[in-house]
Amino acid sequence: MQFVIKRVLAAIPVVFLTSVIIFSLMRLLPGDPITVMAGQSQSDASPELLQQLRHQYGFDRPVYVQYGLWVQRALSGDLGYSVYNRLPVWDVLRPRILPTAQIGLTAWILAILVSLPLGAYTAVRMNSWVDWLGTALALIGAAMPYFLTGGLFIYFVAMRGGMLPASGFVSPFVDFWQSVRTTILPALTLTFALIAVLTRQARSSFAETMQLAYIRTARAKGLGEGAVVFRHAAQNAILPVVTILGLQLGSLFSGAVVTETVFAVPGVGRLLVDAILSRDYAVVQAVVLFITLSVVLANLLVDIAYGLLDPRIKQS
Amino acid sequence: MTLAPESLGRSSRPSRRQRLFRSMLDALRNPLLAVGGFLVLIQLVAVLFVGHILPFGPNTMDYNALLGAPGASHLLGTDELGRDILSRLVDGARLSLSVGLGSVAMAALIGVPLGLVAGYLGGAFDAIFMRLIDSIIALPPLVLALTIAAVLGTGLVNTTIAIAIVAIPAFTRLVRGQVLSLKTNDYVLAAESLGAPTWLILFRHILPNAINPVIVQASLAIGFAIITESSLSFIGLGAQPPQSTWGSMVQVGFQYLELQPFYALAPATMIFLAVLGFNMLGEGLRQQFDPASRGIK
Repeated sequence: MQFVIKRVLAAIPVVFLTSVIIFSLMRLLPGDPITVMAGQSQSDASPELLQQLRHQYGFDRPVYVQYGLWVQRALSGDLGYSVYNRLPVWDVLRPRILPTAQIGLTAWILAILVSLPLGAYTAVRMNSWVDWLGTALALIGAAMPYFLTGGLFIYFVAMRGGMLPASGFVSPFVDFWQSVRTTILPALTLTFALIAVLTRQARSSFAETMQLAYIRTARAKGLGEGAVVFRHAAQNAILPVVTILGLQLGSLFSGAVVTETVFAVPGVGRLLVDAILSRDYAVVQAVVLFITLSVVLANLLVDIAYGLLDPRIKQS
Repeated sequence: MTLAPESLGRSSRPSRRQRLFRSMLDALRNPLLAVGGFLVLIQLVAVLFVGHILPFGPNTMDYNALLGAPGASHLLGTDELGRDILSRLVDGARLSLSVGLGSVAMAALIGVPLGLVAGYLGGAFDAIFMRLIDSIIALPPLVLALTIAAVLGTGLVNTTIAIAIVAIPAFTRLVRGQVLSLKTNDYVLAAESLGAPTWLILFRHILPNAINPVIVQASLAIGFAIITESSLSFIGLGAQPPQSTWGSMVQVGFQYLELQPFYALAPATMIFLAVLGFNMLGEGLRQQFDPASRGIK
């Protein structure tokens, strides 16, 4: 328990500093939100009214007071007002979470299912052709831009093959099978890069574990190689992979920005792009904050899980 | 007969040039270095020379061949304005590589000194500064680059700056770690006790010993920069017309994917090959500098 509290406390400065970074970036933008709002609604509001609004939202106060007000409102669930959509920011953001989460989670699970066995196999059979193939795949996966993977899928699977839809997203609560069909291609696009990173990590982590004395003991007992790898080595070797999984949540969001553009998925990533292009800064601020909090939270959970799985970490 | 001391020395130890030649031969035996180096080399050759020998300019329009299929005169076909896609690819390489190299140079020039100072001075500056670096790393790189690009505005110069800012923390962290392990070495203590100024110790004694991982990181960062620039341009926040990078070609090309797949997929493949080249070069250099890492990749 003490360990959990320590980890939670350690995450607080990171959240604080990132929120300061986001806030400062938004303040560096030309014009305050009220001016932008007046410009976009093309109203002929009088300067006095703008001044009054500025005062009402606190934009005429010192910067650190504004930061305090923003944090206070964000903590109470008020993320501001989307000028472009004419809705509270939370109402704009909420429906975007499901597509991103569904596609991201699918990609994540696929990556685990492929990478762990492949990593374990290549670590045991080093320098075999499967190992070379795995290394080549890892290099290729890390260098493939999402729009190339996605573009190839759209061209060959959706357009030439006509097997799956090329764009859009359907909620599983509306039509489950259509939802699965719209999830497959974006999830495959995202997972490819993830598999590259995870397989490499799994390979080196299994390779290291296989050198340990207790593996020699297990073999000496006459256990089959499969049992040695999957029962004995896996327990230790999976731990570093878990860390990478947590760290990769950030790159999943980076991937979501591009993949959701390629496949026209109405998710969080696409919302960020649209908000930036339409200068809807309250939304930009909220989305970046949402992404940061998700990443920090995921890493925190991984950290805690790691400590619970491996008593050695907890003590150090 | 007695041998002159110089000739003895020459026969027992290879000259500088021989050693350089041998290490280059050794490097070529490393498949990562050889393939990565080759990929990077053809990019540079394409940028420097191929543009001049192609029959069409990147902006020459041919109204008789709009979205033309690949053929004898246009090897990769033409775009919606009848421009030769191959010529535009070669021209786009110039801008894409410039942004990649420029942003990484900028990031290294800022990130390396910061890491040197943070690692060497330690104390409160180091503690606060590294927390800041940690927080920047907590933000997904593309999301941060997007946000900075939104603040700075579109265009390639701003894109270069945005990517550089995102790439700085990796250099700072890396160099700081190196400094922490190097600064307790005897030669640093000796320089300190002789009263050498801090900047001299940092740049003369510590930096040369920490430079190899920085070179590796630079190569990997160029790959990251190229992919980030292309993603920003693909989204519409990078290069603006009439400037055209590989990423902005992909953006427009996607609208014609069914009619003319090469329009989007050819520049996307070039981005892939460029990133692959720099990544392999970086990994290969890492193995070359640190042979212990060869066994476990």
